[in-house]
Amino acid sequence: MTRQMRLLDAPWRQAHPHDIMAWNADTGGPALSQAEFRERIGAWQSRLDALAPPGQRWLLCHRDPVAFTAALIALWERGDSAVLPADDRPETLEAISPLVAARLGDIADGHLAGSPKVPRWGCLSADRIAVSLFTSGSTGEPKQLDKTFAQLDAELATHRALWPLEGSLVISQVSHQHIYGLLFAILRPLCEGAPMAARTCRYPETLCAWLQGLARCAGEQAHVPHSAVLISAPPPLERLPAELDWRPANARLTRILSSGAPLSAAASAHARGVLGIGISEIYGSSETGGIAWRDQQVSDHWTPLPGIEVRDDDEGRLWLRSPFLTDPDSWEAQADRIAPVTDGFRLLGRSDRIAKVGGKRLSLTGMDRMLEACHGVTRAHTLPLATRDNRLGAIVQLTAEHIPHDHAARRSLIRALRTLLLPAFEPTVIPRYWRFVDAWPTNAQGKLSAEIVALLFADLQERSLPRWLGIETPESHTCRVALEVPERLVFCQGHFPDRPVVPGVVMIQWAVFLAHRHLGVAGTFQCLERVKFPQLLLPGYRVRLSLTWQPEAAGGRLTFDLSGQRGCHASGRMRFAVTETIDAP
Amino acid sequence: MTNALELELKQLIIDTLELEDVTPADIDPDEPLFVEGLGLDSIDALELGLALQKTYGIKLEADSEETHQHFANLKSLAALVEARRVK
Repeated sequence: MTRQMRLLDAPWRQAHPHDIMAWNADTGGPALSQAEFRERIGAWQSRLDALAPPGQRWLLCHRDPVAFTAALIALWERGDSAVLPADDRPETLEAISPLVAARLGDIADGHLAGSPKVPRWGCLSADRIAVSLFTSGSTGEPKQLDKTFAQLDAELATHRALWPLEGSLVISQVSHQHIYGLLFAILRPLCEGAPMAARTCRYPETLCAWLQGLARCAGEQAHVPHSAVLISAPPPLERLPAELDWRPANARLTRILSSGAPLSAAASAHARGVLGIGISEIYGSSETGGIAWRDQQVSDHWTPLPGIEVRDDDEGRLWLRSPFLTDPDSWEAQADRIAPVTDGFRLLGRSDRIAKVGGKRLSLTGMDRMLEACHGVTRAHTLPLATRDNRLGAIVQLTAEHIPHDHAARRSLIRALRTLLLPAFEPTVIPRYWRFVDAWPTNAQGKLSAEIVALLFADLQERSLPRWLGIETPESHTCRVALEVPERLVFCQGHFPDRPVVPGVVMIQWAVFLAHRHLGVAGTFQCLERVKFPQLLLPGYRVRLSLTWQPEAAGGRLTFDLSGQRGCHASGRMRFAVTETIDAP
Repeated sequence: MTNALELELKQLIIDTLELEDVTPADIDPDEPLFVEGLGLDSIDALELGLALQKTYGIKLEADSEETHQHFANLKSLAALVEARRVK
């Protein structure tokens, strides 16, 4: 189990046939041997051969990490490369489709593997493009990034030297469609001969159960992984419930890695307390690869990864020279500012974000800071909107007591914030579209991504939608969505002329729409049960929609409750025929 | 000058300028439309001028003193539309 190889050495060709490639952590047994895994590779190759001759680019998006890995190797060995969309939304996939021969994976129009077959091996070379990925768009439009085998191998070798897997079970809580998950959850176990969990771990309860299972069957048989490594990110680490019994887990978990976004000091301490070991955070980006790491419980300074050189300039900007970049010899400036310290550096945040609004230049960072100085504001992010030329939007996180719950409160809050900004900014650059949130909205990687921004401002374009202000997903099949009723909601016009209210049927449509989006609820609507509309819902009201999906034999039941400060506006149950759940993005 | 026209103009302002936090009831006919009051700005003035031309066929000199007076508040705007509309 101490094999350590580069991708270029094609470790999957040489692995012992009886070694475990994937571990079924739910049942506590092997999911797939290396021999079976090789047949999966062959199965993908036969499918690809039927579609196109070698030398293609394929869109690959598959939630199952084993199927994903098999498809990736199948196409590499054919002489192809993979384009990995950041998520499986139709718009994301459509944007990539013109670049590729076809779609592979568990997505719309995605091809799947054929039947198991002996694979054939090709030739890998250092400067060939292995994968193309996309940035999250948290700092602008999503950008395509090509990674060669040499670049990936350089990163893998660095990570392996710092944090060797040594046969541990690799449990991932992150998406392998992004560089961090791809490197740590897929390619590292592959190259280091460590088993990967056969599915991504989505909930803390699952993680706890898996580690308990591992503790139970450890020592029973030689092939049971002796320990586990957790590939995590800020969102799951922040939400670890302390009330579960983590004691058996603590004994098995030997390392926790986090990346994708900064982990707050509080979350780092919380996770350390619950899981019993420190969190190694990796700082970097899709463009740069890993730059530095730290364990906040030891020090908040970042230590550059081996082989990485970091310096600052007069403005405090970070400059980087890295073997993971396309040009390993040149220095590249980054958007973050740093303060060098003896053993590394401290991160000071982004350099100024400058925008041009209606012909006027302004510092968005300056505007954010001014808003953040305001009583009740926890965090602010102003930004140009793709759908509104010349106007800024603002995402503002408020403490609970400052959240506006109706039209009048929201209006007076906006007026107060405008008044605050007016002495420092031209009237035309003051944000026109405000989104007040009670928790900072992020994707699964912990980023305020372009996708999340689009959700927050979607009601500007779609006049039938409620204003989406964030989601909590405490467990599988349950979510709570923060919403506001837009004043310009299309359904309120003429209903009723002097006193607009949201019709009950619209609240039900919202519940169905959001259950589909966030819980993957599909199927044919059958009937409503116990529906009540106790309080009128007026434009400007802020509400929370709680949704719970219970799959049943031939369909499922969706329980919904739409409540706000004035009480319940709608509640009830809906039945759907045919269970067809997809994992929410 | 009718209430109906005032309401129509309020809706025109909200729709043209895509004001998401303003309902017709929030617009006081006597309150300034620009800077204080409703808080409209120079970009809004241009867009509102275009909308008046499109909806009522009223042509205004951009940035003239006269235009400023017409745009003072909703009442003056309604008076302008009533007097000069050709549609």
